[in-house]
Amino acid sequence: MIVVPCPNCGPRNSSDLRNAGEVAPRPDPETASLTEWRSYLYLRENPAGWVTETWYCRSGCRRYFTIERNTATNEIRESENS
Amino acid sequence: MSELEFVSPVASGPLSAAGGGISLEDVSDRTKVLVRAGRDTAAGTHLKVTYGRSRRRRDGALICGSRPDEWTLLADPGQGTELLASLPDEGFVSVVDITHGRAMFRLSGLDTVGVLAKVCNIDLTDDMTPDGAVFSGSVAKVTCDLVRNDLADRRSYLVSCERSFGAYLFAAIADACSEFGIDVPADLTIH
Ligand SMILES: [Zn+2]
Repeated sequence: MIVVPCPNCGPRNSSDLRNAGEVAPRPDPETASLTEWRSYLYLRENPAGWVTETWYCRSGCRRYFTIERNTATNEIRESENS
Repeated sequence: MSELEFVSPVASGPLSAAGGGISLEDVSDRTKVLVRAGRDTAAGTHLKVTYGRSRRRRDGALICGSRPDEWTLLADPGQGTELLASLPDEGFVSVVDITHGRAMFRLSGLDTVGVLAKVCNIDLTDDMTPDGAVFSGSVAKVTCDLVRNDLADRRSYLVSCERSFGAYLFAAIADACSEFGIDVPADLTIH
């Protein structure tokens, strides 16, 4: 079990939430090349270490928030509303 | 507007353990009104309670801060029209009577924590969820809104879910109660 701190609900079992993946900056759709757009949609760093990711509080407040999580240890440090 | 007759999704009457440690009652017929509003609107100011807390209004309605910028009002059966009329709706506000769309149960007694611990992973200690606390989570795999709403001398929770899950959830909670002395009627089966 991973305990994920929702900024609204407090610490929750990760099974009550949904991992919405690594945060990736969205390029400007007016000017982005196809390669940039595809990389925004599909490519992620997936490091064994610290990553900033979005979670959805599915069973609780139904808000999206971001956390910093170490994918190797599941240690979590920052949590804020998206 | 006349109130529609309420038909509960649960066919069972109240169940209780002989020793009084736990009781489960279908209270789906209570009036339920959902309000979505910004905190700076007249409705938000009127409702006042923040997410995670509840308070009793002077007319007896229980105001629950069920999500950020979202409140659920609970009252006796047949109060829909009055509750809707009691809420200011100027600005970016939506007020909907959801009485018929939700099932609701009252689980009371000393053993409530033991029963809920079997089917729900929320921390029910007084530190985290004291009397008046409002929270949501999975109960027997159904997303539910819960209110800790102690009665005079008993710990008590209101558990509500989508109406279509009501019959299953009542049976699932009754099943969890059987270990604590409730005789579950044979027709209340989840298998
Ligand atoms: Zn939450």
